[in-house]
Amino acid sequence: MEPTKETVRLPDLGDVGEVVVVEWITSEGASVVEGEDLVEVETEKTTFVVPAPTSGRLRTIVARVGDRLRVGETLGEIESV
Amino acid sequence: MGRSSPSSRTVGHVALGRAGYAEILALQRRLRDRRTEGTIGDLVLTVEHEPTFTVGRRGSRANLLVSPEALDAAGIRVFEVERGGDITYHGPGQLVVYPILDLRGYGRDLRGYVERLEEATIRTLARFGIDGWRDSAMPGVWVDGGKIASIGVHVRRWITVHGLALNLDVNRDHFAMIRPCGLDVDAVSMSDLVDGAVDPATVRDAFLEEAADLFGWSVATADLGEIEGGIDGDGS
Repeated sequence: MEPTKETVRLPDLGDVGEVVVVEWITSEGASVVEGEDLVEVETEKTTFVVPAPTSGRLRTIVARVGDRLRVGETLGEIESV
Repeated sequence: MGRSSPSSRTVGHVALGRAGYAEILALQRRLRDRRTEGTIGDLVLTVEHEPTFTVGRRGSRANLLVSPEALDAAGIRVFEVERGGDITYHGPGQLVVYPILDLRGYGRDLRGYVERLEEATIRTLARFGIDGWRDSAMPGVWVDGGKIASIGVHVRRWITVHGLALNLDVNRDHFAMIRPCGLDVDAVSMSDLVDGAVDPATVRDAFLEEAADLFGWSVATADLGEIEGGIDGDGS
């Protein structure tokens, strides 16, 4: 079966403006299970752990630690096998 | 700020009295796991800590202005924790509130959550004749002369830990050992702004009433032993 790629986007956290990427809990190339901790971001005074939206392998980290992004923007890509 | 409070929900209040930071941090994490599993409901913990500095995820010990020896001499421990924000102080004379909530029940809105904590604090202060306000660029609650309440939150699987600290009558010498939140701000206590003593239980109960109104809670006293079931009594 062809692997399919799923884009990991910053989920809707409400009216938060920009968030900062604090730490990738899963490293590039590692396998992930849907719902597990993937990456931690911070908005004003609140840290939020983004779960993996699907199971597979974290193929690409797009938003690096320190990068700022908004709801819906791309954090990375998971390749499901 | 939305006031779309659904019909009131019962939220358990656990009054922890005076307790060390490490013990309550471990408790929060256990309760967070239980809340994530859905085996307990929403809770609010209130506590007064022993003197402690905590550093948030992106915070820096560079904002700690004294040596490790000076900290030891003052009996203050430092913890690096998962909440947002920089360095802050906890200690006697401070009301600390740790809501363990599933934010999926409150609109999945991180800013809205923080704003409700701020608003509950502002309304509590108003009951004591203190004018407090928020600054959207610098979360927390501000008064004439500086900052009176700090907020730092961590959310995993939409469950909250950490929360809010309101200064009732804190040790200024301890606060002077840090740059709170990495800012050059002064910490102000309620006792600086009112005549007479500030009763901690009165402030706590006022805060819980205001928070109940804003979050749509019906607050019920909760017993930690019953909540923790078979795992209570293990200390830390």
